[in-house]
Amino acid sequence: MLNKKIFPIILLCTVLIVALAGMSNAKTDHKEYKNSTLNDCKDCHNGAAIVGNHGGTREHRLLAERAGANCTDCHQQSFCLDCHNGGNVEASKNKSLSRAGETMPTTHRSDFISIHAIKAKDDPQNCYRCHESRFCSDCHAKSNRGAMQVKNHTAVGNTQRYFITLDPSPANLAAHAADARRNLQSCEGCHPDAQACSRCHVLTPGAPIRR
Amino acid sequence: MRLTMKLSSLSLTLLVMACLPRLSHAAELKLTSSTQYLWYQDYISDKTQNDVAQYLRLNVTRLDKEGKASVFAYGRASQQVTSDEGLQGRLYYLYFSYRDAFNDHLDLRLGRTYVHSAAVAGTIDGLFLDLKNLGPLGVTGYGGREVLFLNKAEVGGGNVMSGASVYLDAPKSTHLEVSYGNKYRNSDLARENIGLDYSTTPFDIFNTYGRVKYDTIGDHFNELLFGAKLVPIADLSLKVEYYQSRPTFDNNSIYTIFNVDKYREVSAGAEYAFTSNYRLSLKYAKEFFGEGAEANVYDLGLIARPVKNLSIGGSYEKRDGFSGRLSGFRLNAGYDIEKAKIQAGIDYDDFTRQDSRGDTAKKYWTGADYQFNKLIGLTARVEWDVNYRDSDSWQGFTAVNINY
Repeated sequence: MLNKKIFPIILLCTVLIVALAGMSNAKTDHKEYKNSTLNDCKDCHNGAAIVGNHGGTREHRLLAERAGANCTDCHQQSFCLDCHNGGNVEASKNKSLSRAGETMPTTHRSDFISIHAIKAKDDPQNCYRCHESRFCSDCHAKSNRGAMQVKNHTAVGNTQRYFITLDPSPANLAAHAADARRNLQSCEGCHPDAQACSRCHVLTPGAPIRR
Repeated sequence: MRLTMKLSSLSLTLLVMACLPRLSHAAELKLTSSTQYLWYQDYISDKTQNDVAQYLRLNVTRLDKEGKASVFAYGRASQQVTSDEGLQGRLYYLYFSYRDAFNDHLDLRLGRTYVHSAAVAGTIDGLFLDLKNLGPLGVTGYGGREVLFLNKAEVGGGNVMSGASVYLDAPKSTHLEVSYGNKYRNSDLARENIGLDYSTTPFDIFNTYGRVKYDTIGDHFNELLFGAKLVPIADLSLKVEYYQSRPTFDNNSIYTIFNVDKYREVSAGAEYAFTSNYRLSLKYAKEFFGEGAEANVYDLGLIARPVKNLSIGGSYEKRDGFSGRLSGFRLNAGYDIEKAKIQAGIDYDDFTRQDSRGDTAKKYWTGADYQFNKLIGLTARVEWDVNYRDSDSWQGFTAVNINY
């Protein structure tokens, strides 16, 4: 399944790596600094290589996911899992509980259920780093569906005409298409097999989507 | 029944591991246990739920004379006492580790462990190998069954995950890595990615980093990240970042046939340390959702340690544009008194969702740790929430912690 266009990129990068391979750089063992504060770190890391708290949200992911990462010099795997998988072996008192009783990372501020519809849009892929799409349908597909829809499906009265009427307005059609394109993974949460879509669309893999 | 068996085997394994030090001449055991009672608001069932949870983390190191072999384990069992839900458990990891084999050329992890690369990352039941110190080069490889957690338990994902990477650690804090990873679901290829990571600091004051992640099944980039940091004067750092992501679906999902929009974000931020005890940060991000939908996000943060043992943190966020408006702050403070640590905070958000409601969400919380001795400590947290769902909601937990 490897795409032919990508193969030259891999080859190029591999060549680049080998070309640079003449240089060596022994990595510093950080185990002895395990109990240092971030201020202490700056005694050595006083430039741009590492600044602040391990580089913030996205950069810390790069640091943690790279091969040969030395996170384990100071942290155990539980340190990661206690944010990413709802653990709490360190009994952290500044973490709140979800409606299911799981500890949440401190990024989940105030009442996260109140604001999640807004915060989930700040990089929609971010939620899926810790949550399966089933996590959303746990609430959205169970409770009062009219009030719990990810997007209001009932733009016209209470008839779900917004999506499934056979004669929708051009404005409604355009709005639902734009919403779906921006947020398709949230559709999959409640409609995993897209049956709701197939009421109007002919869905054939490889063929254009027809209404 | 299956869960009970899993929990039994987990308990047995942990017990065996606890005995290992006696069987092995120089093994060292480190145990962390936390027994917790939690109460929280489940708004779907519309009642306060109560759980009892037992966490256990074990590190058995120095299993061999050289101190290279270790076993690490971490798991949780929990029981909701306000419903007829049964005992549930999560085994987060349980792996045998052997480091620096063959003259410091091989690290190995076998069992349930977190594996990582730019292409794919996750927890697997399998094997991870890091062939390192080949000059500046290294090679990693991994494979196994992907582990997924949902609703306090493990769920069967059916995915088999594997991958490999080639990496280079060169001078100037340069790291370059090419990786490949895939996931198979029921013997069908579900995901296949190629990743490229880089980070380099050509001058002490300048660093740049990035990631390219390509989905070979969908034939598109599903993640791009490019960032640069500059430290023009001591204690001031500036950062700019471009990020782009795209929804990705399993190969066999019907959703692969739909068009989707990319999410793009351009951000700039600065952090300044007035002294080692006062740090200020600012950030602005412009978000693009496609088809003209945009949002602006502004962040301001302050960390201060005005006197010994007192720390204060505060932040303000303002967001407007697509999907809604948000304006809110967070404040927290902590104070250490000999064997006790006290902390308290307030979260306040004024929000207007684009498609439904607007309101405020307020959270007031306090917590404390008390360490009786080196072995035993106590932690408690209480939280009061006021929001559109509940005007008077309480939740929290207490924990007895043992560190051996």
